[in-house]
Amino acid sequence: MASSSFFSFSRIPAYLSRTTLKRRFLSSRCSPFVRPPDVAQLAESARISLTANEIEEFGPKIKQVIDWFGQLQAVNLESIEPALRADTGGSDNTRADEPEIFGNREAMIAAVSSYSEPFIKVPKVLNKE
Amino acid sequence: MASSSLFLRLPKSTLLFLSPLPLSTKHITSFCTKPKTQTLSSLSTNPSSPLRTKTQSHAPLENPTLDYEPVIGIETHVQLSTKTKAFCGCPSSYGSQPNTSICPICMGLPGSLPVLNSKVIEFAVKLGLALNCEISLRSKFDRKQYFYPDLPKGYQISQFDVPIARNGFTDLDLPCEFGGGHRRFGITRVHMEEDAGKLIHSSNGDFSQVEIKNMNSFSAMHRAIDFEISRQVSLLKEGKSDEVIQETRLWEEGAQRTVTMRKKEGLADYRYFPEPDLPEVILTEEYVNSLGSGLPELPEMKRRRYEKMGLSMQDVLFLADDFNVADFFDAAVGHGADVKLAANWVMSDIAAYLKNEKLSITEIKLTPMELAELIASIKNGTINGKIGKEILFELIANGGTVGAMIEEKDLVQIMDPNVIEAMIDKALAENPKQLEQYRGGKTKLQGFFAGQVMKVSKGKANPVLLNKLLLEKLNAKS
Repeated sequence: MASSSFFSFSRIPAYLSRTTLKRRFLSSRCSPFVRPPDVAQLAESARISLTANEIEEFGPKIKQVIDWFGQLQAVNLESIEPALRADTGGSDNTRADEPEIFGNREAMIAAVSSYSEPFIKVPKVLNKE
Repeated sequence: MASSSLFLRLPKSTLLFLSPLPLSTKHITSFCTKPKTQTLSSLSTNPSSPLRTKTQSHAPLENPTLDYEPVIGIETHVQLSTKTKAFCGCPSSYGSQPNTSICPICMGLPGSLPVLNSKVIEFAVKLGLALNCEISLRSKFDRKQYFYPDLPKGYQISQFDVPIARNGFTDLDLPCEFGGGHRRFGITRVHMEEDAGKLIHSSNGDFSQVEIKNMNSFSAMHRAIDFEISRQVSLLKEGKSDEVIQETRLWEEGAQRTVTMRKKEGLADYRYFPEPDLPEVILTEEYVNSLGSGLPELPEMKRRRYEKMGLSMQDVLFLADDFNVADFFDAAVGHGADVKLAANWVMSDIAAYLKNEKLSITEIKLTPMELAELIASIKNGTINGKIGKEILFELIANGGTVGAMIEEKDLVQIMDPNVIEAMIDKALAENPKQLEQYRGGKTKLQGFFAGQVMKVSKGKANPVLLNKLLLEKLNAKS
């Protein structure tokens, strides 16, 4: 656990590693900060069908990943300015409003399994929301 | 092009306070049937503390609603007139065949990455400034995740908690028929997003938010709002507040009512998270200021300017409403036209012609300069008002100049008393019977004689002088 936690801190974005971090390693794998995942609901939201066995199997694994991220909650952020995003690039990543025709539309259409010109047929979308 | 959503809420309790009324219109049909690949950039605005109105404000409501004050919020999706889409370089050729203007990005193919169209930022900032908002120098994009046939990626790139503009307002002049006056309307936010489907917003606290769809015109929205207010108030008054549930209702144009479409259980979970494929949108003060200084005269400023010129509110609202009309009017005044007279000509004769012929003011052959010339010619007595009107129609339809027309058709007003007197004498001599009747007491016949002289003079006699001299002669030999 200690080694994986250390490993996790090395992946923290730059602005966090700049300051002194009080590292509090959690003794148990259950993070009190993060809710356990409702795997069935998650699968439903993502339109992924899981069997009961798969839900049972994936639940703890997903929880482990969440707990791993949950450790970030132990970091003392008192003196840190909130950031909107992890990258503070500052590079202008926009483009001019000028047309660029994609040269291989045919290949994209050819890759569509159910193309019914000029439409693309998709599975029925049943929205509960 | 814009589509609007309104949100409508009435409080479950019977307290006398306002709550926003959300309604949502049907989105532009062509949008929904557009193939999934068309992702057009759009801006979304939301009202803040929505308009607080007294019940009778925008349409006469029945008495049952007097205890309740509806509050109405409007969410407007404005499609931006950009040459390309929001996040890829595909031409946004609206109306072209489905699935033709596409690329891996807007098709949502794996591995493709969005790149923001800088024009979208420009429009967003301009709109934010025009709506007196605070511009966020740093804002971000988020993924709004849901499934829909024309949403290839399975999420819509939008702005969730840090939009590009917030906390604005717009000052409007209410039409005279609604009591006139000024009122300030709050604007909650302006944000950027690609538009690939419908947006459904979560409700707020102890209100049941009802969403209404399928209104295709502002008048339909009006009627739907009125119906919904009545419906909700009736239920509340009957103690059936639990029947006012969070749901989506359809406006039925034929039956003029809303009907339940489906009952929503809980809120849609869009699982917003920051869009990892796009960096922060970072603006500089210089950039924002340069856009601000390049903004055209906003409607509110135009209205205040017209008011200062001495025009009545009715004139102000008419002229400022259409910027082509305002430009025409401004140009005429710029050429020296009298303000009030120019307003009158534009609002009456010209407007009537435009309405009849279904034209825009930019399509007529009359130029602002010639309108100014026409007004001046009448003012200085060269031609009389009636001739002026005739010239106007000629100029609107066929163009040309006032000066040339006056010369060609010999329209100069007759101001010489001798000439007019001679015509009057002739008219009197040729109509002895009417003259006798006049002298016998039928003074209304003055108009008859005036008409006769006008006919002979081909409308050119100065009416004021004519009547003065006519009256003298009619009353002389008695």
